[in-house]
Amino acid sequence: MADELVKLTIDGREVEVPRGTKVIEAVRDMGSDVPHYCWHPGLTVAGNCRICMVEVDMGRGRQTVISCNLDCSPGMQVFTQSDPAKQARQDVMELLLINHPLDCPICDQAGECKLQEYSFEFGADGSRFEFPKVHKPKHVDFSEHVKFDAERCILCTRCVRFCDEIAGEDELSIVNRGDRNEIAVARGGEMTNAYQLNTVDICPVGALTSTDFRFKSRVWFLKQTRSVCGSCSRGCNTTVGTRWNKVLRMVPAENDDVNQWWMCDAGRLAFKHTAADERLGAPMVRKDGKLVEASWDEALSAAVEGLEAAGDGLFALVSARLTNEELFLARGILDKVGTQHVDFKPRTWPKDDLLRTGDGNPNAAGARFFGIAPGDGAHGLEALAESGLKAAFLCGEDLDERPDDLAALEAMDFVLCTGFHETETMRRCASVVLPGVTEFEKDGSFTNIDGRMQRIQPSLSAPGSARPDWKLLGQLLARLGGGEAPRSADQVLKSMGATHPELEGLSLGRLGPLGKSLPQGESPVTEGENTVTAGENTVTEGENTVTEGASA
Amino acid sequence: MSYVKVSRRELTLAEKLYLPSILAGLKNTMSHLLRRGDNEITTMQYPEEKWDLPSYYRGVPVLVKDEDEREKCVACSLCEFVCPPRAISIIPKQIEGVVEKAPEVFDIDMLRCIFCGYCEEVCPEQAIFMSKEYEICGQTREELVYPMDKLYELGKTLGTDGGVKDAPKKWETLAREQGQQGLASDQDA
Ligand code: SF4
Ligand code: SF4
Ligand code: SF4
Ligand code: SF4
Repeated sequence: MADELVKLTIDGREVEVPRGTKVIEAVRDMGSDVPHYCWHPGLTVAGNCRICMVEVDMGRGRQTVISCNLDCSPGMQVFTQSDPAKQARQDVMELLLINHPLDCPICDQAGECKLQEYSFEFGADGSRFEFPKVHKPKHVDFSEHVKFDAERCILCTRCVRFCDEIAGEDELSIVNRGDRNEIAVARGGEMTNAYQLNTVDICPVGALTSTDFRFKSRVWFLKQTRSVCGSCSRGCNTTVGTRWNKVLRMVPAENDDVNQWWMCDAGRLAFKHTAADERLGAPMVRKDGKLVEASWDEALSAAVEGLEAAGDGLFALVSARLTNEELFLARGILDKVGTQHVDFKPRTWPKDDLLRTGDGNPNAAGARFFGIAPGDGAHGLEALAESGLKAAFLCGEDLDERPDDLAALEAMDFVLCTGFHETETMRRCASVVLPGVTEFEKDGSFTNIDGRMQRIQPSLSAPGSARPDWKLLGQLLARLGGGEAPRSADQVLKSMGATHPELEGLSLGRLGPLGKSLPQGESPVTEGENTVTAGENTVTEGENTVTEGASA
Repeated sequence: MSYVKVSRRELTLAEKLYLPSILAGLKNTMSHLLRRGDNEITTMQYPEEKWDLPSYYRGVPVLVKDEDEREKCVACSLCEFVCPPRAISIIPKQIEGVVEKAPEVFDIDMLRCIFCGYCEEVCPEQAIFMSKEYEICGQTREELVYPMDKLYELGKTLGTDGGVKDAPKKWETLAREQGQQGLASDQDA
């Protein structure tokens, strides 16, 4: 794209934009907006909904045109709020609503529906159309995750373009003619792409809805919290919708440098597993071979005693699903105990060219940064069974699917487990269990595959007396003689600067809503696994697609 | 801090004595006591006798069904949203038929309800109405959270008057239109 600038006037204000910018983008850059359904910054221009009408004067008198497909040109005058422009939009609204079922009371989109919003803003107050509405199929399953209502669809083709351009599977299209037009899955099959729930997000109306969220709650009751997906090392930004202290849905939040507008279906539905697990609500200590509930004080004392007794003979498995703050505290504990046998458990996740990285640990980069890896000549996870070590610390991790390692743990004298749900490992091997929380219940930060630190925020309250992991680790560290226990995750992050100069001056607030990439060369990612390099390639590809889309 | 100083009016001697007011009160009581005649009943044999309530009276909010005994409420939750003391709680469910949604749970906490009538006003389906029911009693708090069954039961006290059942047969019209256009209608007969 040439850097050449063109000068034009929008609503009486002179602006300069790069050549090739569409009028709708120029208006948005100014901080205002033109109503639009089919235009999406991440997709190619279709120009079919006609609601983005503005009045334009290019020296030959004023005309109403769509602003999403009109390049800015020098000397152009744009009027977004003139009467003809408003009238044109109102007329388009009237046409769109001719066959619309007005299902709002039942429709899951109500509350975040553009049709509702624009109707309220500038629609007419009634319909002049006297004939019966055309009826089309309702609640059609496009797949296990997506439901389609043809009557509500305004045929903007956002979903069609998303599947084709972003998900890379051209599986939706428009069938039939005239007012019988509707969206259908190609060849009568099901949607199969791994990103299909994004079509639900971008559908401006309630035509595509999520089967999982269907009728769970009206959206205006949801408490919306910005956070980060904990399913893979991409760290897609999310908005978590909660009610009744339950996560009801997770949708992507826009972040140009990470996930743009998208996230994968598996990641967005992962909260269901977290919710389904049997949660731990109180600390437990093994007495006479049985785990029994104990007070925090008793459990922490038992934990500290065991850790101190183990000394350099302690094997520590620290989860790379913990936040940076927690990893830092865990590292502090291990340094105090004086062990080198430290590792984290690798986790796999599907991998593709769009977002999914193949690494199912959301904070693997953070774990490497804080040195969660075996020291020289020490035993890592792979060598656990033969190590002959007599004590272990499973920090937010389990070994349920590794029978050999479980047997090795069972033979040990002391095993300390932390985690948010009861695992086989705890039941069989733990001497002390300290209940932590899920990523939906704590504050902190993850470092993603590109070395970007991003904040996670709590949206739920924890069950029973479970404590955020940063809190329980901080208390363990304090009892091991590591000073005062921290009062917040933020305080932990602020204190890191003393030992990690590249984190100097950082706080959770300073990470901002979009996270912060640490300056080049100071990135906490140490070249460790090939997933890192592969991942970087995919980001670039992803960005290309989006840039093309936005400018085509 | 800014404040407004309000000056109080000096009371007159008669007001200070209170006697005139007391006498006025006694006079009123006496006039009721001595009143006679058929249309001048001053006491009522409650609960055998009940008040004849005006049409605008706002008692317990109740739920109603349409002529075909179909639930009118579609669990849109607008009443839950608008209710000032948050007396209503609804959990929606999916159902088969032309209408896709209905309430699974619909509770109104009568200890919270302030009988404002907003729920009736906001309802897009004309499914909730203010009844004339005012006898709300129970011995526990739980008893006074009226569940859906009870609200439908109370809805029957409205009878067919009050415009409750005059609402257009919306879903029937819809099913007929769909039938005419050759679309499979999944409405239960
Ligand atoms: S798509 Fe929008 S306007 Fe249409 S029924 Fe749903 S909420 Fe209402
Ligand atoms: S289903 Fe939604 S996104 Fe797809 S064409 Fe219809 S309105 Fe647009
Ligand atoms: S009458 Fe008012 S307070 Fe009572 S349930 Fe309805 S909206 Fe709530
Ligand atoms: S407003 Fe009416 S339709 Fe909506 S939930 Fe309340 S009673 Fe049901």
